[in-house]
Amino acid sequence: MMQAMLRAAFPPALPPGRARPFPFPWRDRAGRFSWLKAATFALLLAPGAWVAWLAAADGLGPEPWKDGLREIGLWAIRLLLLTLAVTPFARLLAWPRLATLRRMIGLGALGYALLHLAMYAANENFRLLHIAGEIALRFYLTIGFVALLAMAALGWTSTDGWVRALGRRWKRLHLLIWPIAALGVFHFFLQSPKSGLWEAVLAAGLLLWLAFWRLLPAGWRANPLALLALAPAAALGAALVEYAWYALGTNLPAAMILAANLDVGFELRPAVWAGLVALAVPAVACLRKIMD
Amino acid sequence: MFIRKRRGWEIPESRVTPEHLVFGRRAALGGLALGGAMALANPAPAAEEAFNPGLRNMRYRPGRDVTAERNATTYNNYYEFGTDKGIYRAAERLPLRPWTVQVDGLVDRPREYAIDDLLQAMPIEERVYRLRCVEAWSMVVPWSGFPLKALLDAVGPQSGAKYVRFETAALRGVMPGLRQSWYPWPYVEGCTLEEAANDLSFMVVGAYGKKLLPQNGAPLRVHQPWKYGFKAGKSLVRITLTAERPKSFWEAIQPQEYGFWANINPEVSHPRWSQASERVLGTGERVPTQLFNGYGEFVADLYAGLQQERLWA
Ligand code: HEM
Repeated sequence: MMQAMLRAAFPPALPPGRARPFPFPWRDRAGRFSWLKAATFALLLAPGAWVAWLAAADGLGPEPWKDGLREIGLWAIRLLLLTLAVTPFARLLAWPRLATLRRMIGLGALGYALLHLAMYAANENFRLLHIAGEIALRFYLTIGFVALLAMAALGWTSTDGWVRALGRRWKRLHLLIWPIAALGVFHFFLQSPKSGLWEAVLAAGLLLWLAFWRLLPAGWRANPLALLALAPAAALGAALVEYAWYALGTNLPAAMILAANLDVGFELRPAVWAGLVALAVPAVACLRKIMD
Repeated sequence: MFIRKRRGWEIPESRVTPEHLVFGRRAALGGLALGGAMALANPAPAAEEAFNPGLRNMRYRPGRDVTAERNATTYNNYYEFGTDKGIYRAAERLPLRPWTVQVDGLVDRPREYAIDDLLQAMPIEERVYRLRCVEAWSMVVPWSGFPLKALLDAVGPQSGAKYVRFETAALRGVMPGLRQSWYPWPYVEGCTLEEAANDLSFMVVGAYGKKLLPQNGAPLRVHQPWKYGFKAGKSLVRITLTAERPKSFWEAIQPQEYGFWANINPEVSHPRWSQASERVLGTGERVPTQLFNGYGEFVADLYAGLQQERLWA
């Protein structure tokens, strides 16, 4: 095992004359420039660049670190969910090349999560002992930290060498992304019940959809009826998570909040949005079939 | 033995410059500078000219620089208008006139004040206070207003009155936050009658020498600077003296995180973060938080017999 790991971390030199091209993110496996990968890479950097631009232009307000770290944290969880969405998308769109983007997006999520921690440290004026104490003491930070450590482990073992070295165990190790995503969403819920939970509930709904899709028997995963059934399941799941959250964590009338999901004249609540997004999936899958 | 503790603003008689000299000169200088600048630059709108910010009360020294006005007026919590900090644009829609404030409950002379009559009737002065938000940020603002005590005296609390309940505006048409009907609107805050009668309890009607802006709680806001900022109810419409302790908005939602007393104490953490220090808005600095936000000399006595209460959350 140890030897295999070492071999993976330090792959043997290629035969002379065939230098391995440096794996820049915009190159495909053969080392050629790929528009798809280049565009994905640029899109992954965009939110960070936007926040950096806001910071430089004094657009983040009087608490720039705090507001910036929240914005970056949002992108960490969004990209994590997107990473999980790559496989179903590649399958439903019958577009296998999409799957070659998964590693990059996952590493993007890790990058934003690390930046998020660094900005938290900056907001705490880099008082490292105090920061360690807070992470140990505050539950929502502890689980964020656990999630981040696990993400770092997945990022570290994301290279071709590690994939080869770990073989089938690699797959099992990388199933950790599911508890990581769940912890990330939990951290999202916990961090600020005082402000709205809108996007946290949406994230919970989307994560549920992604998990339900994997739980479908393999033969059903492209079945329009099964996909159709997943939409209300995701919406209901998100609504129940939201209900449980308010019922257990606050004195607010959780039943009223649950009922508000039905009052679409009032607004489309996040659980409803999760259902709508999920409904788009069979629609897009059908379109794709018609196009063939 | 009777030991009289000297309060922060009390300095030996001999060292005091007669008040009228200080205030007279300041006012004259301020008036000159302001008036001159305004005459040269754009003429101020009539409403601003009409506003009297009062003379600065030199008892209360913040010990820090005043927060940039732009920061204090664009970084606000006002849940009726939205849950993010940038609600100042949405809050512009709050109609500030006509506005009435009802003062009632266990008082001898209940009264409904038109806001402008109230401003006329009360002794307006300026105080520079530190404001510490429960979210561990703080600012320093020159507020204009009057001591809550003056209003209490005007209506005459009855002997049964123990608490003061502050009720804030809940205007369906202009406040999108109210559509989340499961929150216990209107936003209510409260304190004990003794706290209300304390010198520090201030009814704010202006800031930075101007009329108060909606995002800061126009036209009338309560501010007790030794308590976390959420106690400082905005856009008040009703002040009621009661015998029962009022249930405040956040206390009703999450009593384990936001209590009735909410006095500032660096040693008592919020369940989700430390209160030991605070970021001073717009400076990038983090400073230690002080017990009672540094106003202990004015208010610590209020809590002498109340150790069994949850004073710090
Ligand atoms: C050591 C690790 C971490 C620390 C110290 C940390 C710290 C924080 C802090 C201080 C906040 C803001 C709380 C507030 O607004 O008062 C926050 C929010 C958030 N964090 Fe983390 N976090 C960590 C890990 C993560 C990870 C791994 C993810 C996602 C995968 C994540 C996603 C988020 C999200 C989505 C928010 C909410 C942003 C918002 O509501 O605007 N965090 N985190």
